[in-house]
Amino acid sequence: MFRGIFYLLFFPGLAFQVVCGLAFEWMDRKLLARFQRRVGPPWYQPLADMIKLFSKEDLLPEGASGVVEMLLPLLSMSAVLTAGLYIPIAGFTSFSFEGDLIVIQFLMSVPTLAYYLAGMASVGIYSFLGGGRSILQYLSYEVPLLITISGPAVMAGSWSVAQISQSQVSMGPFIIFQPLGFILATVGLIGKLKRDPLDIPSASSEVVGGSLTEFSGAKLGFWYLVMNIQAVVGIFLLVNLYFGWSNVALPDVAIGVFILECLLMVAILSAVSAVFARLRIDQLAGLGWKILVPLSLVQLGFVILMGV
Amino acid sequence: MRRRHSLFHAIIDALVSRPDTVGYPFAELDLPESYRGAIVIDADNCTGCGLCVRDCPTGALKLEKKSRDEFKLIHYPARCAYCSQCENSCVRGAIGHSNALVGATDRPRELVVVLKEKNENTD
Amino acid sequence: MNKISIPIGPHHPLLKEPLSMIIDISGERVLGGALRLGYVHRGIEKMATQRTYVQDVHLIERICGICSHVHTTTFCLAVESLLGIEVPPRGQYIRALMCELERVHSHLLWLGILAKNVGLDTVFMHAWHDRELALDMMEGISGGRVSHAANQIGGVRFDLSTQQEEMISINLVKLKQQVSGVLDVIENEPALLARTQGVAPVSAEMIKDYCVVGPVARASGVDVDMRRDDPWPPYDQLDVNVIVLPEGDAWARTLIRVLETRESLRLCESIMQQMPDGPVAERAKRKVPEGEVITRSEAPRGEVFYYLRSDGSDKPARLKVRTPTLPVLSLLPVQLSAIHVADIPVVLAGIDLCVACADR
Repeated sequence: MFRGIFYLLFFPGLAFQVVCGLAFEWMDRKLLARFQRRVGPPWYQPLADMIKLFSKEDLLPEGASGVVEMLLPLLSMSAVLTAGLYIPIAGFTSFSFEGDLIVIQFLMSVPTLAYYLAGMASVGIYSFLGGGRSILQYLSYEVPLLITISGPAVMAGSWSVAQISQSQVSMGPFIIFQPLGFILATVGLIGKLKRDPLDIPSASSEVVGGSLTEFSGAKLGFWYLVMNIQAVVGIFLLVNLYFGWSNVALPDVAIGVFILECLLMVAILSAVSAVFARLRIDQLAGLGWKILVPLSLVQLGFVILMGV
Repeated sequence: MRRRHSLFHAIIDALVSRPDTVGYPFAELDLPESYRGAIVIDADNCTGCGLCVRDCPTGALKLEKKSRDEFKLIHYPARCAYCSQCENSCVRGAIGHSNALVGATDRPRELVVVLKEKNENTD
Repeated sequence: MNKISIPIGPHHPLLKEPLSMIIDISGERVLGGALRLGYVHRGIEKMATQRTYVQDVHLIERICGICSHVHTTTFCLAVESLLGIEVPPRGQYIRALMCELERVHSHLLWLGILAKNVGLDTVFMHAWHDRELALDMMEGISGGRVSHAANQIGGVRFDLSTQQEEMISINLVKLKQQVSGVLDVIENEPALLARTQGVAPVSAEMIKDYCVVGPVARASGVDVDMRRDDPWPPYDQLDVNVIVLPEGDAWARTLIRVLETRESLRLCESIMQQMPDGPVAERAKRKVPEGEVITRSEAPRGEVFYYLRSDGSDKPARLKVRTPTLPVLSLLPVQLSAIHVADIPVVLAGIDLCVACADR
């Protein structure tokens, strides 16, 4: 029982994921700043921001529900933390069962729903617009992401992330067989994380802060933690689905290789964020249904044919 | 496709070059010679004629004349627009700008600077 | 879908200066908008009549931070024409050099704002990095990055030493090289093309109805440029290429400023080559004889128009400033019908707001 509590609270649960989330935020901001010829924040900046946010006054506009606004980030955080428990970290699995890939996908969609509800629960007009756009965006990227993620599952013959990661020891890393799938999954991850170029719901030049315009204090701190942990869990998931073999094949260097793969994903996400412009919502819908869905079906068909 | 690489090359190039920003106040600030900074006066040349006071657009200079030989020239750095009109108006070249940066202050005493004071006791 | 009104401004991340727009939207389509101005009105024209001409030069510089030099130049030209004095040729060329450098820095600033509105933060940072080179050049010769204080009545205040001339020539080459990278990206970036092509087209008739001038007019096919139509020296000795594009959509407004930046850099090089020697200023009397005069010049945003009337004393009797941003702002509610909500930043960037100029 103590082992279970250790897994839940320390590794790979709460403490580990929070630390990784803050580290991810720092790396992302530093890389983006260096791409733009700026210096970037020092390593303790995300931690300082969290402390500052949690010590700020909590403003509640008239007509907004304080209870709902507090519950939404907390529920999202518990959802993504739970999703992170099922993903092997450098080969180390804590909880794993057959079918946990589906559960992870479901749990990772809870923050999107919570973001929409946060927009509806707030009073201002910008939150309303931001929330509506987030649901439109969800409909465009989630379907191709689900189809793409089924690719490694079909190839490994299992719906458990730990099994998929394990089977790449004998078969080789899946990115070699499904490069298109990796690209599509990265695009889906960018949409889920609401990063540039798909940060339409929180585009600061149109709707000031999106759903989170009126959040302040501890509630906003929890939302930022949710976004960071969601990013970290997403990166771990993609690394396990597409680069899995190195985790178990060379156990001594497994941790180092895992870290390198995660850093590569962070670099890819930051570079894409720096290079591309924000899409319009109708352009995103066009991209999602006219390009991403057919390509993901092609990739899945290719995987099935290869298995046969 | 070549143009897409152009922005990509630009960010890689930015990654390996030094950042643009200067870490003031922990790093040195390199201001050019002609930068219009704090007002300095050549007290021997100033005769208290008041041409600079007349032409100052913001009223940052004030001359208190007690008699023909006694005067006090006061400068208010907070009102100054750093336009160098006083430097152009002075026929003797007594007042002008250095290139020292004028920073913010929390001491009210620094908001009033007496540039020159001449009374019966001094020459 | 029912109609909702969203307020943009006075405080909004999209705007550099306070401006209030109430935009009616239905879903993702914009139905129309209303505009409120006056948040930055300081009463410059009234203040100008209470100060002497010498003090007014510095007051006029603070109408706008981006096009400050053009405003002072036009004002000094008006006073000089009433006084009947002529600026020596070297002073005229230095004034034109600062005007063209200011056009380059203004267009690079605008480019960064357009990129930021569209979501390309990297291009924003890179364009402003190049703009720093232009500002450093202006600071090296005049003493200020934004408030140059270059003009006085009768000429310019400083002379260029040989070192400074060399510095400018070297830096112009460097600036041209750096700027060409950013401009190439803007001209060929597919994301930018996708977001600006076909957005909010404005016809030439509408331009003439609303009396719009500047790059917005030239992007819709109306051929008007004060540097060629009503030049003050030395523009009559320089060969100005006026660029006109027929389409009138947001992409044309983007492309025309890109081309104008290149043209201004070429003009800077011609100015440095043709710069004559001699004095830079002429002594001007403090009391201006009675009369009234109109002067015009081409600011980065269009035609700037000054009317000055004097009554023989050392303070002006009436000064009227007509800036190019005011008619463009009145065109804005018309442009805001039948576009997407996501196009609002693109439209706002295309008209190149400078509310301080519009409100005075």
